[in-house]
Amino acid sequence: MRFRDLAFLVVSNLRRMKLRLALTSLGVVIGTSAIVLMVSLGIGLQANLTTSLGDLGAATHITVMPGGMETGMPDEGQLTDAALERFETIEHVEAVMPMTYVMSAQGARYKRYESYMNIMGVPMDAFEAFGYELESGRLPRTDSEVLLGAAVPTSFAAGDSATQAGPSGRLKLDLLGKRLDLTLMMWPSEEEMQKDPMAQGTERKQRLTVVGILAPTDMQTDQTAYVTLDAAHAMNGATRRTTAYENVVVKADSTRNVTAIEDEISGQGFFTFSSQSMLKELNTVFLIIQGVLGALGAIAMLVAALGIANTMTMSIYERTREIGIMKAVGASNRQIKRVFLGEAAIIGVLGGIGGLTFSWAGAALANLFVQSLIASQAGSSGGVMPETSAFFQIPVWLALFAIVFASGIGLLAGVLPAVRAANLDPLTALRHE
Amino acid sequence: MTTAVQVTGLTRQYVMGGEPLEVLRGVDLSIAYGEIVCVMGPSGSGKSTLLNIVGGLDRPTSGSVVVAGSDLARMDDEQLAVYRRRQVGFVFQSFNLIGTMTARRNVELPLLFSGEPEDQRTARAAAALQAVGLGHRLDHKPTELSGGEQQRVAIARASVNEPAIMLADEPTGNLDTHTGQEILSLITSMNAEGRTFLITTHDRAVAKAVAHRIVTIVDGAIARIEQGGTL
Repeated sequence: MRFRDLAFLVVSNLRRMKLRLALTSLGVVIGTSAIVLMVSLGIGLQANLTTSLGDLGAATHITVMPGGMETGMPDEGQLTDAALERFETIEHVEAVMPMTYVMSAQGARYKRYESYMNIMGVPMDAFEAFGYELESGRLPRTDSEVLLGAAVPTSFAAGDSATQAGPSGRLKLDLLGKRLDLTLMMWPSEEEMQKDPMAQGTERKQRLTVVGILAPTDMQTDQTAYVTLDAAHAMNGATRRTTAYENVVVKADSTRNVTAIEDEISGQGFFTFSSQSMLKELNTVFLIIQGVLGALGAIAMLVAALGIANTMTMSIYERTREIGIMKAVGASNRQIKRVFLGEAAIIGVLGGIGGLTFSWAGAALANLFVQSLIASQAGSSGGVMPETSAFFQIPVWLALFAIVFASGIGLLAGVLPAVRAANLDPLTALRHE
Repeated sequence: MTTAVQVTGLTRQYVMGGEPLEVLRGVDLSIAYGEIVCVMGPSGSGKSTLLNIVGGLDRPTSGSVVVAGSDLARMDDEQLAVYRRRQVGFVFQSFNLIGTMTARRNVELPLLFSGEPEDQRTARAAAALQAVGLGHRLDHKPTELSGGEQQRVAIARASVNEPAIMLADEPTGNLDTHTGQEILSLITSMNAEGRTFLITTHDRAVAKAVAHRIVTIVDGAIARIEQGGTL
């Protein structure tokens, strides 16, 4: 039998049962839509989170912290200058920047405005090597100068309402060249605590001049103010220059090499963190989420497959005599099987196409709804519209997979009925009323 | 005349409710090309079983059935299907046309399964319908045709593949006497053009009208063979 004739036979058979075809395909439409929408939600969520993850730090940056109880390692896991020099020699490392967190910082005041930004001490030459761009001004040269992250000028709030600092976006101060008054809390050292367990911390004031403002980069950097390393040490009350850093940022030449560098550094006994490694872990989580969502869709698909099997079984029962006739005029078992497999597959294909169309429409609608929801919320709080990509994303591979999968399910569901039809005894079939 | 069908020592046994039932017990029969053989006998005598076995729809329990030189007993399901497609034409009492297909489509069916290209197929089907006097009814569905016309379509379908033998099981059983006569004269005229027929009937008048030989089967065995009225 020629393929064209088979197709003709299949199509003309299906035309005889339009309603049943529609209803059975609807089952596949629902199954396909469930799978596609669930998986596309997984993909969308992942894409969105991956985008916002970029805010946690540039993709090529690795944050290194002192190691734990590792012994036998050089420097005993301490971030010494020697360790930093070693990091610089690792292949694909572009720059290394130690950071000292100003723990004593309590807040900064400008006129009647207050902000609680993070303050970090960094070597300014390394800072430049990291490729941060200035929006205005210059890098600090002395210990009384400060460089502000892009979001810091918007983090100030007036007087009493300053309890919650953050980029509210309502107020943007022009701080370049202005003086900020820092409040530092000097906590008693361990020795002092031993002498007097009731020892209280003492407040100290420090005045800094804003000499530059950074262009917006990642969220972390945007909300931090930068001073020189020496200034940071002094603010923390350190009497002499410390020999080890709390925090070092290593910049890879490309995101591809982040993992290798990270492995090398953690192999030397340090704790490392990067948005890349975070992403890897998140991907595992999302694989599980997608799997679970996909499994829910698969159940819907299973029900649809049962529907196809049921429809085919019914229609084969009704057409038993016809099968007998076809066999009498020379149809082989294989040809009969193909006819019914073809019918089942077409039900699957139609359902797949329908399901995909429905999913596309549904995803577009849902995305529109979610985006308008976000827009209205952002609008009412006076904030800026956050950048989100679509929550339901149907990539081409998913669309193709849906069609192929639905046809496959149809074919599979048709196997048992088709084999039954093919193996019918022609005489029994001919006697069937 | 050469032999179209050679049946030798044919037996067929069914198991009914655990009891073996001998439907055919040692039938020997040979049919020459161009012959019309009628098989008569009461219901349950085994005449339809004989027809079905010769037509490749049923299998013998023992014995051999050689049609156009090949032994059916040695064929598997697939080969039997090809055999039915090429060497046999079936005509049933209840016509057995496919209701959703036009007359032409019904007649095309054997050619469709043998993979004949569409243009040749439709031409041959049209010619076959023309030959049974239905050239003007090509695109009618069975429900739009009378009983006699439907049986003509069935005969056209049975002959379209130029079979070695045409098998008809009570071909006039569902028709009134007049229409039955028309079908019988169609069979006679097709026979005159060289077609070979094996026909079952319980109506002696039918057998007398067309048969060269009349074979009477009683209880699964041939009781007698007589020369028909046409010889």
